Amino acid sequence: MKHFGVIAGAAALVLVGGGALGYAAVAGDEDGGSTPSAESADAGFARDMAVHHQQAVEMSYIVRDRTENEEVRRLAYDIAQTQANQRGMLLGWLDLWELPKVSADPPMTWMGMGGTADAGGDADGALMPGMATDAEMKRLGELNGKQAEIFYLQLMTDHHKGGVHMAQGCLSKCAVGVERRLARTMVEGQQSEIELMAGMLRDRGARAR
Amino acid sequence: MGSAKKSSAARKARIEEMRRAEQARERRARILTIGAAVVVVGALVAGGVFLVRSQKDDSDSASNDKSAGRFVTGKDGVKKWEGTLARNHVTKSVSYPVTPPVGGDHHPVWMNCNGDVYTKEINNTNAVHSLEHGAVWVTYNSEAAEEDVDALAAKVRKTPYTLMSPVDGQKDPIMLSAWGHQRTVKGADDPAVDTFFAQFVQGQQTPEPGAACTGGLAE
Repeated sequence: MKHFGVIAGAAALVLVGGGALGYAAVAGDEDGGSTPSAESADAGFARDMAVHHQQAVEMSYIVRDRTENEEVRRLAYDIAQTQANQRGMLLGWLDLWELPKVSADPPMTWMGMGGTADAGGDADGALMPGMATDAEMKRLGELNGKQAEIFYLQLMTDHHKGGVHMAQGCLSKCAVGVERRLARTMVEGQQSEIELMAGMLRDRGARAR
Repeated sequence: MGSAKKSSAARKARIEEMRRAEQARERRARILTIGAAVVVVGALVAGGVFLVRSQKDDSDSASNDKSAGRFVTGKDGVKKWEGTLARNHVTKSVSYPVTPPVGGDHHPVWMNCNGDVYTKEINNTNAVHSLEHGAVWVTYNSEAAEEDVDALAAKVRKTPYTLMSPVDGQKDPIMLSAWGHQRTVKGADDPAVDTFFAQFVQGQQTPEPGAACTGGLAE
């Protein structure tokens, strides 16, 4: 009986080991094949960047209502479309992983930066680095023409800087291959848009804040 | 009593028999699992070696001021740009190393690529921006058969994130391009068309995933 137990145990171990090997061989591309936990960088980045992107989408819709300038309106269209779609990818992964869209911990805890955005007290809606305050969003909605364009370009430059930094955080901490790939496109795409906006600000006799 | 003992012994024997059968099943399952794992690992290794080898036969090489590299043809017939592709926004014309271009500096405005079919030549600087957004660009020269052009136009019209236009300067009658990738196809019914679309329409090569094919330049 004891003998049987040992054999059965050993057989079970081999089966589990073999199964794990088979599973790793099938699923083990670049992401290791396991579902991230709610505390992981993968989940944290998906949660936080979805929120970060949402404000950029909103900001872009606002400026499109405040100016007729085609160049700025098109940049805003591009940013709104791109970031709304990327937001869908991030939220879709959380759905697939069956993880909550919110965390009780402060934003960016997964980067070791929890609580940095509201360190000075009331963040006024600026939940993460680079995000505009509610007052700034309100002001953007009240400016017109060139003043709205400049303020949008300044706000979006700050927003992108915060976004690039967070995406770099994912690149150094995330494990899921497809997520790392998206983060890399964010770093490169937003970095190049920061330069583009610097030129657009110069054309308007202004510069980043 | 005696018969009870006998039946108990028989029961023990039967249980023992079932255990042996169970162990045999587990052994088979174990062998199958390990076998399958070995086959999968072997196939992955072989596939990797094949992929690496298929990248080695090179063809045209070129460079311009900011993008540098060369095309390497894979076993599947798709040329892949090995090197860098610049991504700055410029309003002047750009001299691209290959025709049609597969990347590099481009105009700030993308060409609409939401199944858009252009019958006149378009600026390649706008089209390159569409490739950056994940579009596949179908191009043809004057040697392409009219029925192929019509059939491909019909396919493009029903495929978001594709666009089509004539490019007189290209060397083959019908070519397909995505960011960093290009191939020639024999005609509209070449199965390589569907394969290329499946791989590259909003594919992994896309530098700006999620970016739009609408709201850009319409003509």
